[in-house]
Amino acid sequence: MSPVKIRFEQVRKEFITRGEGGRPAGCFTALEDITLDVRAGEFLALVGPSGCGKSTLLDLLGGLTAPTSGLILLDGRPIGGPGRDRGIVFQQYALFPWRTAAQNVEFGLDIAGLKAGQRREVARHFLDLVGLSGFADRYPHELSGGMKQRVAIARSLAYDPEVLLMDEPFAALDAQTRETLQGELLRIWRATGKTIVFITHAIDEAVVLGQRVAVMTSRPGRIKQVIEIPDVLRSEAEDVRSLPEFGRVRHEVWTLLREEVQNAQQGQLSGDARRAGREVEEEAHV
Amino acid sequence: MSSLEMLTLLELGYGRRETGADRHASAAVRMRVALRRLATAGRRSLLLIALLAAWEAVPRLGLIDAVFLPPFSEVIAAGWQLAQTGELYDDVSASLLRALSGFLISVVLIVPLGLVVGWYTRLGDLLNQFIEICRNTAPLALLPVFILLLGIGELSKITMVIYSCAWPLLLNTIAAVKQVDPLLIKSARTMGATPQQLFRKVILPAALPTIFVGIRLASASAMLVLVASEMVGAKAGLGYLIINSQYSFLIPQMYFGIFGITVIGLAFNAVLEAIERHFMRWKQPAAG
Repeated sequence: MSPVKIRFEQVRKEFITRGEGGRPAGCFTALEDITLDVRAGEFLALVGPSGCGKSTLLDLLGGLTAPTSGLILLDGRPIGGPGRDRGIVFQQYALFPWRTAAQNVEFGLDIAGLKAGQRREVARHFLDLVGLSGFADRYPHELSGGMKQRVAIARSLAYDPEVLLMDEPFAALDAQTRETLQGELLRIWRATGKTIVFITHAIDEAVVLGQRVAVMTSRPGRIKQVIEIPDVLRSEAEDVRSLPEFGRVRHEVWTLLREEVQNAQQGQLSGDARRAGREVEEEAHV
Repeated sequence: MSSLEMLTLLELGYGRRETGADRHASAAVRMRVALRRLATAGRRSLLLIALLAAWEAVPRLGLIDAVFLPPFSEVIAAGWQLAQTGELYDDVSASLLRALSGFLISVVLIVPLGLVVGWYTRLGDLLNQFIEICRNTAPLALLPVFILLLGIGELSKITMVIYSCAWPLLLNTIAAVKQVDPLLIKSARTMGATPQQLFRKVILPAALPTIFVGIRLASASAMLVLVASEMVGAKAGLGYLIINSQYSFLIPQMYFGIFGITVIGLAFNAVLEAIERHFMRWKQPAAG
């Protein structure tokens, strides 16, 4: 078994909510007791109901925020901030509109201080890898959503991070493009051997892509269960979605997730009720 | 591959073939293109031509007293005379020098200041009230103050221009920095950008379009304030030409002065547009 790449140890993240006038009003726990290992070269999919703190988890991994308590270790060392050993792909592409596709791919290398000639060569290689060879000089507004996300993936791969973090990267795409890109991502993963943490709210996507699927609970986010995806579903040749095994695993994840979605909705309803109650009180004061 | 991507591919393929054909286009085709462009330009300036024709005809027909509104041709003739005596050159160069130097000094001073104020939120909070007060004090209202303090020479006029350009530049630059998509900043940070790199490679290019809005507004404001201050106290300049011609009852000259202001304004705008196009080739055309 490959060594552990990323280790979460009882990670907890709280946010201070602000009331009127920006005064701290209370504390909101986004993540609680997250303990999880991701092995080197593994493809881990993370699913959870919306608002369960998936993106917070990714911000923590990216080093954009620090956990309130607990530890996140990358190769045994705590994460101290952002770094080029991790690449992030965002749902909204986050391409720089003033840079061409190739210049976008070069961005990380530019930051690292690579010379222009070398940068161009690396950019061409990774644009080839994502199937955009002829589009190097196009600006983002001249590309379709799927193409933009390909550029974003190429950009994150170009500076050769060991870990690729993906935050619902295909959620904004149409169904066909999404399926194509899922296939492409698996191909790229196999070709590059990166460790990938893939966040999604789509169960199918998680089951198709992940070697393991971690299901999160609703507020506060915890890891509810980690499901191993059977090897049958990892076949390159077959249409795995048509296998009975796919349906079984999909149902398993769906059942776990449904409870959480219901919990989340109830939480929201009671919140609404509380808010309504407060309004009534205020009216009474008047 | 999605249908949208397919479509883009098709479009791109088609576009490439078209440029290939263009290279081999015959002179006849080029001629036809030129003619069509001329026709389009003609259609666009139809209203303008009609207005000028009316300007020429109305005083000649006696509908308006020709003393107060001389026909367009007489205005141009008066301008030709001014050009021959060298008076026009003096006035235009005086106005241009004031407008350009004031405008450029303002851009060089204020845009960097705006970038800093936009970047450091605390500094912005500190200056906000002051900026609001100054911005809402109409520059022309301060004209007597500038003249009192700085005299009626070049200094007071250029200072007026700098002052009037400063507020649109400052406010737009601050807004430009604040409006930068946080996701782009986040994305650059995850790629290990240092604060300096972030500023140079993300904030600055992302802010440029909004900064340019400020620059365009400032150029219009510069002309307005310049003409007004030249009318109050000056020995040369187009504002002086206009007001002096009116006092001396040289009405065609007065109209030519106004005409000159318009031409300078248009030229200013054209230059700025060209610069803007050069720097913002990456922008999605508004129509597309």
